[in-house]
Amino acid sequence: MFELASSNIGGQELFVLPFGDIVDYFTPYTGALFLFALIFTLICIFSKPEKSMDIVFGTDAIYAKGVTGKDLHFRRFMAIACGIATMGAVTSGDVFNFTLFVSMVGICIIGITASVKNRQVLHTAFNYGIITMLATIPLFGGAAITLAATGTLSIWELSAIAPAMPWIAKALILVGVMGEGMAPFYVAKAELTRAPGAPYVLMIHVSSLLMFLRVVEIILTV
Amino acid sequence: MDEYAIGLIVALIAVVITFVAAFREKNDIHRLIIADLGEISALVLIALIATDLAEALIIPGLVVGISELLALSEVYLVREHLNRPVKHPFRIEVLDTAPTIIAAILVLYGIVLSGFTGGAVAGTGMIFYFMGKKNAERFALVETVSGYAWALWIVAFFIFMVVPEYWFFAVMLAGGAILAKVTAKMSLIGTMRGEKDV
Repeated sequence: MFELASSNIGGQELFVLPFGDIVDYFTPYTGALFLFALIFTLICIFSKPEKSMDIVFGTDAIYAKGVTGKDLHFRRFMAIACGIATMGAVTSGDVFNFTLFVSMVGICIIGITASVKNRQVLHTAFNYGIITMLATIPLFGGAAITLAATGTLSIWELSAIAPAMPWIAKALILVGVMGEGMAPFYVAKAELTRAPGAPYVLMIHVSSLLMFLRVVEIILTV
Repeated sequence: MDEYAIGLIVALIAVVITFVAAFREKNDIHRLIIADLGEISALVLIALIATDLAEALIIPGLVVGISELLALSEVYLVREHLNRPVKHPFRIEVLDTAPTIIAAILVLYGIVLSGFTGGAVAGTGMIFYFMGKKNAERFALVETVSGYAWALWIVAFFIFMVVPEYWFFAVMLAGGAILAKVTAKMSLIGTMRGEKDV
């Protein structure tokens, strides 16, 4: 029958960075996620925003919409902050820090979306923001129930005494990450995908995907 | 049943009520306020643990909640084009005469208290003063004072870690600096009257 070589989901730890009792670590799994986030952050830093072309209906005229000046700086800053928060979320070794980084990613996504001055896009950003705020209840609630049930928040400690985390806490954290990571659905609904500035919109999808991959690892480990 | 379980059940009932309200409500500004209520119930869930660690976790949770609320309020204001300045600011006679003496009392008492609490008390006095007076403050100066005070606060922490023998000096430095920082930051609130960029 099937026999997995290792019961460890993420593989052996490659690098450990202890800040007191808060231990950040890389396994091959989270290391790969970190590199992915890093590459996309670098793309956001160095690439020029895409210019989208609009054809004037009924004529041959085409006009280009660009992102310039203050708007460009703000969107680039938000995308970089989103990348850094994602990197923090995938390397964090503490359940509460993970939930905090996930909420930070949510705030940054609101920032990226809301920088487009278009009524429909702002409407979408607002609705997504309401979901984000409500999603912090299951996120922090799950972390708090874990702490109350086991007395620790460290993923290392929790994985040593696994299965220690109550299933309700796991379910709550999963629901919370789903709420925060819902952004791509809202982005698809908005005019945002047609608005100029492609690499920054990409960051929304990347961070949401990486958060899901990381939360699966956490839930299977602890 | 222990106290934690009872508290958890009550908090979860509150969460359920909040969610039902959020899905039934259609007015956007009301939904924003309900979402903020939800944040508070998340803090309640953390506070139920009732240890020092819970206290340390509440502050980041609160900061995340407030920053989301601020971001969404800004999105709402931009979306609804509500960025015009207020035409008729709030004026009553007591605001012309009272602020100076009340602000002086509060600031003096705050300096006596020192530290974070003192900063909050002195800051309340400053808010009241700036709200009562006309809008002619030097924002850059207040911001600079706040920035230097923050740097001194960090220096005090380095003294704690590197040369612990001088702990008394570090305590005084941190207490004074946090007083100045909190006072300066809070006094900026009093200067916000809905002009451009505030």
